[in-house]
Amino acid sequence: MSIERTDIEQALEILGPGSRLDVLGENADLLRYAESEITAQHSERRLRVRVKVNRDGRIAGGTLETLDPEAVRILADRLNAALAELPTSDSTHGASDQPVGDGEQVPVEPAKSIVDCDPAVRHEWFSTVRDGLDPAARLGGAIRYDVLDRVVADSTGLFRSETLTKASIQAIAKQDGQSASVKLVHRDADLIPVGDIPGRLREALRPLPVREKFHGSCRVLLKPSAVNTLIATFGLWALGAQHYASGRSVLTGRLGEQVVSENLTLVDDATDAAGLLSGFDAEGNVRRRTPLIERGVLTGLVSDRRRAGLTGGIPTGHAVPDGWRFGGDPVPSHLLLDAGDATEDELLAECGSGLVVNRLDYLRVLHPKQTLVTGTTRDATYWAEDGKVVAWHPQLRFTFRMDEVLNAVRAVGAVREIGDQTFMDSVVAPSLLIEAGPLVLT
Amino acid sequence: MRDTAETVLALLPTDVQYGDIRVVRRTHEQVLVELDGPGEVGYDDSLGLGLRVLIGGQWGFAATHRLDPRGLDAVIAQAVGQARATGGGGHVNLGEPVTTRATWSSPMRIDPFEVPLSTKLDLLSATVKEASTAGPLVQQIEASIDLYRDEKVFANTEGALIEQTLTESGGGLMVNAGNGDDLQRRSFPQGVPRQIRGQRGDFATAGWEHVESLGLVENAARVASEAVALLTAPQCPDEITTLIAGGNQLAMVLHECAGHPMEADRALGTEASLAGGTYATPERRGNFRWGSPIVSAYADATIPGGLGSFGYDDEGVPAQRTQLVKDGIFLGYMSGRESSAALGDQPTGASRADGWQRLPLVRMTNICLEPGESSLEEMIAGTKRGILVDTNRGFSIDDQRMSFRFTTELGWEIRDGKLGRLLKNCSYQSVTPEFWAGLDALGGPDEWKLHGVPSCNKGEPLQVAHVGHGTVPGRFQNVQVGR
Repeated sequence: MSIERTDIEQALEILGPGSRLDVLGENADLLRYAESEITAQHSERRLRVRVKVNRDGRIAGGTLETLDPEAVRILADRLNAALAELPTSDSTHGASDQPVGDGEQVPVEPAKSIVDCDPAVRHEWFSTVRDGLDPAARLGGAIRYDVLDRVVADSTGLFRSETLTKASIQAIAKQDGQSASVKLVHRDADLIPVGDIPGRLREALRPLPVREKFHGSCRVLLKPSAVNTLIATFGLWALGAQHYASGRSVLTGRLGEQVVSENLTLVDDATDAAGLLSGFDAEGNVRRRTPLIERGVLTGLVSDRRRAGLTGGIPTGHAVPDGWRFGGDPVPSHLLLDAGDATEDELLAECGSGLVVNRLDYLRVLHPKQTLVTGTTRDATYWAEDGKVVAWHPQLRFTFRMDEVLNAVRAVGAVREIGDQTFMDSVVAPSLLIEAGPLVLT
Repeated sequence: MRDTAETVLALLPTDVQYGDIRVVRRTHEQVLVELDGPGEVGYDDSLGLGLRVLIGGQWGFAATHRLDPRGLDAVIAQAVGQARATGGGGHVNLGEPVTTRATWSSPMRIDPFEVPLSTKLDLLSATVKEASTAGPLVQQIEASIDLYRDEKVFANTEGALIEQTLTESGGGLMVNAGNGDDLQRRSFPQGVPRQIRGQRGDFATAGWEHVESLGLVENAARVASEAVALLTAPQCPDEITTLIAGGNQLAMVLHECAGHPMEADRALGTEASLAGGTYATPERRGNFRWGSPIVSAYADATIPGGLGSFGYDDEGVPAQRTQLVKDGIFLGYMSGRESSAALGDQPTGASRADGWQRLPLVRMTNICLEPGESSLEEMIAGTKRGILVDTNRGFSIDDQRMSFRFTTELGWEIRDGKLGRLLKNCSYQSVTPEFWAGLDALGGPDEWKLHGVPSCNKGEPLQVAHVGHGTVPGRFQNVQVGR
């Protein structure tokens, strides 16, 4: 842990009553490659100190890159001056003084494979993947190691800390005008099967004819990476308590109702080692296992202190950091979609004639309330006939309602993969076979 | 900051072939007022350095917030260690050395950080008050001001030493209206995704005078009324028709269809892992028909006030103008030193980093359309059936920057040369060269306006750039519009 408790306590003393610190010690190491050559290496050491002061509903905040008392004092003076100019407010924006609730934070053990990593290991990973590909294939992507020291503390005595680790490798291989990709994520680098990646990419790039674009509706087999993007985007827009309460969610008013296919069970759980782990959120609330959808029925939402009323009065541990670029409302952070019992071959057989999508890219919301999105397929989009992959399908654009697609899930795969998103810590998802209808190929 | 830069360069080991350092302090002030009163006031202060070294033809980069002697030693060790870990054997061509020694500050009339907080709160509160006159269906109003200042020192082992100060100011309004069945949003002066704070509104590399010029109070009631009217407006029809895009909307189309694809690193394949590649490949320079003969586009980092304007880029190359498209033909790239050398070009001064902690990447500057000879009024009058759209709500484009779909906050039908009903959920999709080939009219110089967009994402780790777009309204034939 790179953050000293005494420095935190000293800063809180300077900032005074109503203050909260959310401190991140970020250590990121990255290796990037393109056209089978290393193109960049990046090492970043950063201390990010987020300060929030809430006095009588008046809120001021700021960030620093240091806990040096003089710097904190200068910020405190600015915040005090700003607070003096703000009117007292009974508005609900910003955190309330509600208690964070009972419960012990789940301890998270940082992985030594990442904390103690030498840059040479990332070079070995790169060489393993590049050298395992067909010589004609060109490799691009990135390997990233993150060690994140976190502290959330406030002037009432709250103090929580943890160290999180994460390793990821993205490998995109191009050959003969086609591309395939694999992204693996884990909190322990030793548990990422890097040696399997070349084989997966070779298999994905196997020679196949290229068919013309199919037009119309067909069954679509979404592989785990594509489902990861779909579920994360749906969760971001539909499963937060603030979105629900304000009517911005398509699910507003539907707690207890069937909202998606009964084949789907979804939970947010930062304590489940199947995904990435974390013990508390940006307000210091303990992260809790939160069932969201049980066999298609909406059973829960994620909340922070402000919206704890919708989750039994106790925040579920999904407050986002102040100034977070994706907004200030609580959103899922660690989604896990239950696996089914179908093997990948069985899903393909049931797909029959249809599309196989490995990756959904640039999926963007057109209308939040309708969960209307648009995006493209990317890397290894295939056409299947009679349960066999028979051709490459050209990249295509989908525009669809996420709730309709999730209501048309015909079968769920047995194997899940961990992924991440820029707006979500981790998503664990299997393949989904979507019935013909909501996904139309134009 | 200057001393820190010179100290680090002096400590580099002798096997460093090239090294550069950027010491950057970024200050950000944000003021937000919402429907129920002042929201938040925020002050961000970030100071650190990024060091890049080349050893044995291999790059290493490290960044740190620790500027004490131990921190400096550590950052050197990390950058050098990374470069050495690759084992040498590489070859990087940076072209001609950069030896500039200069100081540059962006122009401004009123220092926005000296304007009292009460003035900012008063302006935003008046804006919200005006917007709230649109009635009870208005559910959410947010008015904000964001001010940025970057103080940067760049130095390299070739002898360059450049000190720059950039001040950026911006503000905006967002209104959400709802009636239980539908939600509609209106933004002013331009649209950005609702959830992204610190990036709302129109920005310029200028002082407080830019915020005052936005007309937030004057336009608030109209914008809010449009949000309410959209709730009951008819849906945009599904059809292939004539599309007229306002300059505000065309800014984002230009950003995605010309800005990103003509960044040289994409053409060289080094952005494949996140952003993707480009249709604008080197062999297409000079012969690829990007659009109709009436369209020409350029990048220009020297435009006063442009959000993509600066004195020198983050490799010390002077800001400049670069022709991207001329008479509809794709001509050139924005580039940095390494990417320009790989293409056999001179660098165009487009290498920029997001703060001290990130590597410089090729980033668009101010991407501009050369104005045409028509006007919005003439375009509408000359259209028998079509749609006028404005203010971006969202978009998606494929990894080669070809297939795209844009959705706008509002639109109007055009019938027999006149504007008709307000339309909601307007959206259109096309493929870059097909779309621009359908361009048959562009607004004239009087309608040319520079838009400042502080939310351009690229890179791994993600970097956010501040860019500008000079545009006029344009008319496009045979465009698929609809939901």
